[in-house]
Amino acid sequence: MEATNSLLLVLFAPLTAACLIAFFCRQRPQAAIALSLSAAGVIFIASLMATLQFTRLGDLSASMEWLRLGDFVVNMGLFLDNTAATMLMMVSFVGLLIHVFSVGYMRGDAATARFFGGLSIFMFSMLGIVLADNLVMLFVFWELVGFSSYMLIGHYIAKDEAAQASKKAFIVNRVGDLGFLLGIVFAYWHFGTTELTELAALIELNPALINGTIAALLMCGFIGKSAQFPLHVWLPDAMAGPTPVSALIHAATMVAAGVYFLIRIVCLFPVELLPSIAWLGTGVALYAGFCAFAQSDIKRILAYSTLSQLGYMAAVFGLGYPGLALFHLITHAFFKALLFLGAGSVIHGCHHEQNIFKMGGLFRKMPMTSGTFLIGLLALCGVYGLSGFYSKDAILIAAGLHSNLIFFLLVLGALLTAGYMGRLFWIAFLGRPNSAAAENAHESGPAMLLPLIILALLSIAGGWLNLWPLGLGEIIQDDQARLHASVAYDAMHKKVVIAGSVACLVGLLLALLFYRMGAQKDRLQTLAAPVYAFLESRLWFDELYDFYVQKVQQRVALLLSFLDVSILKGLCMRGSAGLVALVSLLLRMLHTGNLHNYVAWFLAGVLLLSAFVFACA
Amino acid sequence: MFAIGFLGVILRKNTLVLFMSLELMLNAVNLALVAFSRYNNTMDGNLFVFFIITVAAAEVAVGLAIIVALYRKRQTVMVDELKALEN
Repeated sequence: MEATNSLLLVLFAPLTAACLIAFFCRQRPQAAIALSLSAAGVIFIASLMATLQFTRLGDLSASMEWLRLGDFVVNMGLFLDNTAATMLMMVSFVGLLIHVFSVGYMRGDAATARFFGGLSIFMFSMLGIVLADNLVMLFVFWELVGFSSYMLIGHYIAKDEAAQASKKAFIVNRVGDLGFLLGIVFAYWHFGTTELTELAALIELNPALINGTIAALLMCGFIGKSAQFPLHVWLPDAMAGPTPVSALIHAATMVAAGVYFLIRIVCLFPVELLPSIAWLGTGVALYAGFCAFAQSDIKRILAYSTLSQLGYMAAVFGLGYPGLALFHLITHAFFKALLFLGAGSVIHGCHHEQNIFKMGGLFRKMPMTSGTFLIGLLALCGVYGLSGFYSKDAILIAAGLHSNLIFFLLVLGALLTAGYMGRLFWIAFLGRPNSAAAENAHESGPAMLLPLIILALLSIAGGWLNLWPLGLGEIIQDDQARLHASVAYDAMHKKVVIAGSVACLVGLLLALLFYRMGAQKDRLQTLAAPVYAFLESRLWFDELYDFYVQKVQQRVALLLSFLDVSILKGLCMRGSAGLVALVSLLLRMLHTGNLHNYVAWFLAGVLLLSAFVFACA
Repeated sequence: MFAIGFLGVILRKNTLVLFMSLELMLNAVNLALVAFSRYNNTMDGNLFVFFIITVAAAEVAVGLAIIVALYRKRQTVMVDELKALEN
């Protein structure tokens, strides 16, 4: 089979599955599961085949005309280079594992079919982003991803929290997408094309074409999708969705799509804009790290951790190493999917209890889940030898070589990461059970454990770049080679290994000493309530946006509504209708049925007419 | 003569009298036409008079028939009592 065909299969298998489920399987959960799962399997196999073809034949692109408006042509096309292939393999593989996990997790749910249909449509949209060869197509799939995220966050439609969260995620993302759309329009206007390859070629020919405005506008899309400051508010709330969704969409793939998008359009970024991205990422990494300390919901802690890791990716992208951002993206996808699935297994085992202070002592009840969770945790903290270590290490080295301040802030971020993850682990998994739910916790079934084990292996081994199959991750190796070639590399490397490991160990130990195993209350809250309250407030961003929406936007909306009601509806529509009614009322009074009246009116008419004629003459 | 006819139409209430007044007005017009025709030495007016007489004859036939039908249905020929189009 041709590589293009495999790619088309990758795209259309999940779409077909989603359509079939939507039309025929709403009431047949078993059929929906089978369809969605086999679609995920087909995606993985077809991706593998496409990548094999790709390693033999090199970059692959194919496109066809989709839409023609005058001179403006929009193509639908596929573009597979090494970066895309790396991302494709990650998405299809993690997607497959999460599908398998979902089978166990969603057992007994009333709307299983809708859930699996949603997963399939998500896979379709996400793979579309990965393979898109121009900005317009990317945007189309970008919006589809937003839609499927909306649908899956709101899976538990009966819960008000989930409905609100799905709306919030959708609307906040639209804010960023407005910038993205404007960016595409400007890019077409400026370059005359939206094809990624053509853009790269144009800029290589004439670097003066780079335009900061376009890059900044396109970056808005990244800020929305990857939940960076100031549009980060939706991600923690999005945890209201089912846990496999949080793992797939809000940790491993969709939020990472923002970073992937940046890597795809890296050629458009002027050098002046990069430091601001680095600072943005660093800020988010720290901010989210602090926020995570004041959360008691296991998934929300992980959500803030995701925010903070996305901050790391943005930071290293801003430092000029897109490859390292991709590296961290991939390893993060493995261990964060593992952590979320582990959390899902815990939540499943504890009968939907999400508060860590009501867990405790889970290690004895759920040894496999806890063990794999621990591996994911250590990988996230960057313990030596695990996947997170390699990618975070590279990020820290890059930071150290460019800016001391960013370096120290990111090391502090690593310390925070270890701290809040330690807090989560000590409280939820060790000590004694703190509630009946934790007391009766049970280990999950094989459908849920298998993905955990595979992801745990990947979290351990994902960092050994040399072992990556099929020559994937070329861009990562290039950037690492660039890093190795730096003058101060060796000294910095030692410094980073020491600083990173120390930060990790100190964070974990401090969390253990401070919070104690299996605590029932947050000690920070009891000892220093104002500090806790400050962290819990998350710098009042939600309140600020609420204030804006209620006090400013609502006022404007009310004014517009008043104008609408008074002028458009009142004056134009009701007014004209009323006028006609009034005239008809008057005319009706003439229609008496009395012959003499008619004759009198006739006479009056004749007199008036003759008076008029005489006056004119 | 036209004025008498017109006043008749306005003031009287019996449909038959109204009808006669209408005829009176038509004939007033006829007379005026003939007179002007004679005064101007042309035949145009006379021509119109013939047409009017013909149309008036037809009109009288139809009108009287309507009045008779009306009387049969309503037992009255007074305009005041014939205000409504339906029963």
